[in-house]
Amino acid sequence: MILASVTANNFRNLEPDPITFHAQTNLVVGRNGQGKTNLLEAIYFLATTKSFRTPRLANVVRFEQPSVFVSGALQRQRIEKALSIGVEAAESRRRVLMVNEESVSLHDYLAAMSVFAYSAARLEILRGAPEERRRFLDRGVASINPAYLQDLIRYARVLRQRNALLQSGSHGSLEAWDAEFAISAAAVQRARAAYADELSAAFAEIVARHGYHIRDLRMTYRPSGVDDPARVRRLEIRARTSLAGPQRDNIEFAIDGRNAAEVLSGGEQKMIVLLLKFAKLELFRRRHGESALFLLDDLDAELDLEILQNLLTRLPSETQLFATSAKEPVVGALQSGPHRRLVIEKGRVIDSRDFS
Amino acid sequence: MTAPPLANLINEFTKLPGVGGKSAARLAYAILKRPAAEAEALAAAILEVKAKIFRCSTCNNMTDVDPCAICTDARRDPSLICVVEEAFNIPTIEQTRDYKGMFHVLLGALSPLKGVGPQDIDVAGLVRRVRSGSIREVIIATNPNVEGEATALYIAQQLRPLGVRTTRLAFGLPVGGDLEYADQVTMAKALEGRREI
Ligand SMILES: [Zn+2]
Repeated sequence: MILASVTANNFRNLEPDPITFHAQTNLVVGRNGQGKTNLLEAIYFLATTKSFRTPRLANVVRFEQPSVFVSGALQRQRIEKALSIGVEAAESRRRVLMVNEESVSLHDYLAAMSVFAYSAARLEILRGAPEERRRFLDRGVASINPAYLQDLIRYARVLRQRNALLQSGSHGSLEAWDAEFAISAAAVQRARAAYADELSAAFAEIVARHGYHIRDLRMTYRPSGVDDPARVRRLEIRARTSLAGPQRDNIEFAIDGRNAAEVLSGGEQKMIVLLLKFAKLELFRRRHGESALFLLDDLDAELDLEILQNLLTRLPSETQLFATSAKEPVVGALQSGPHRRLVIEKGRVIDSRDFS
Repeated sequence: MTAPPLANLINEFTKLPGVGGKSAARLAYAILKRPAAEAEALAAAILEVKAKIFRCSTCNNMTDVDPCAICTDARRDPSLICVVEEAFNIPTIEQTRDYKGMFHVLLGALSPLKGVGPQDIDVAGLVRRVRSGSIREVIIATNPNVEGEATALYIAQQLRPLGVRTTRLAFGLPVGGDLEYADQVTMAKALEGRREI
């Protein structure tokens, strides 16, 4: 799929002029604080209704403005789609999602456009709490199977009900909730396990193909299960909360049995996360027979530029790429193929030029 | 400022399900515009329904005679019971015209978050009916959402020792749905494809 243009209204510092893109590579350059990352964030917001920088959407709305509105023209298998999203900044958080000027459900909206984003903030996948890794995995599962979101929502609801029951201390219906919990937990863990398998295989392939020096990195999905249900149930009744299940799953990244976040340097961690993103992108392409958009935010010189360049040249040509960097060597590595260079200043694209 | 009697009526309307402030005001102003006789008829109908309608002592359906018209209908199969959450779910099942058994209204679904436990819904009444009568099958038609599914499992567990065939509607609907919104065809398929739990 190709994003032909985007228009952002009241999105951080971006000016409301339409910005048109190259079908392959878009290099967004400019001094710091001019709006490079904001542009990528607006594209991510258009595709996912979320930000990759902040969980608080109010932060993306321009200061003292009531709402934010982003629209874009997407070409998908030669069919044009006009997507738009509006979100109110106020308490109400009212959200309007439209495809071809018709209001659609979140589920249908998310299915219209797919994007993967790499940013340095994503190092949380390696360093952060298990919750970060679960979210990383869940986004991947949902990207190839949108119905998975229903499984997740259902599971979250059952978990809240079961915890409320344990909290209340009266367990007359615990057995019924346990059965419902087991069914919905199994659906989530089955989908996570299948995706984790595929992802670690694709990841290993990429690492091997590009000869990255860290070869023995293992990604292992560790579902939180129960060997002795009766014992866990007794502990749960005492703890008044659920002690096992998808809410406690983890994914381990290990090198020779040691936690990757502790062994690897900052640059190596960035490289691993980048390779993981390429693996996710590859799984999406295999499943859908087309490429998702790929956002690379704030690439820095700590990355292995030779491998980055190799990775990019090996991307299927229909993968549309958006990259920002403040570092000259990185920009140099990115502009080997046909691309558009967009110079951004004070939230406005002041120069846009194609190179072949 | 809205005159107090008018504000009072608007406030009463907002207590009804699905009626927000704007709809409540629209209803109140509509009543004001219409002849006094219509307002009296509406008030009388509301009072009458409260005075004459009560729950059937057998199945909890809303009725003006006890037992209700369904419980006493000789053309119906008394060995079949369809269990629903609310009395307003009965017409949804009835519209299929395929179902010719009895009903049992639970008066809700299990929801620890709302403080609703087994003692707050009428499973005990259902168990009593199964014990005392010659019941062949209990069809559980609670909503296809998390609370409805847990309630169905709970009922199945309570009925298991009694040895009665217990089935669950087969919904092609996504989970999170509501029986209320199922159309005639969906409902007929759900009944037809019911499975033992
Ligand atoms: Zn009755």
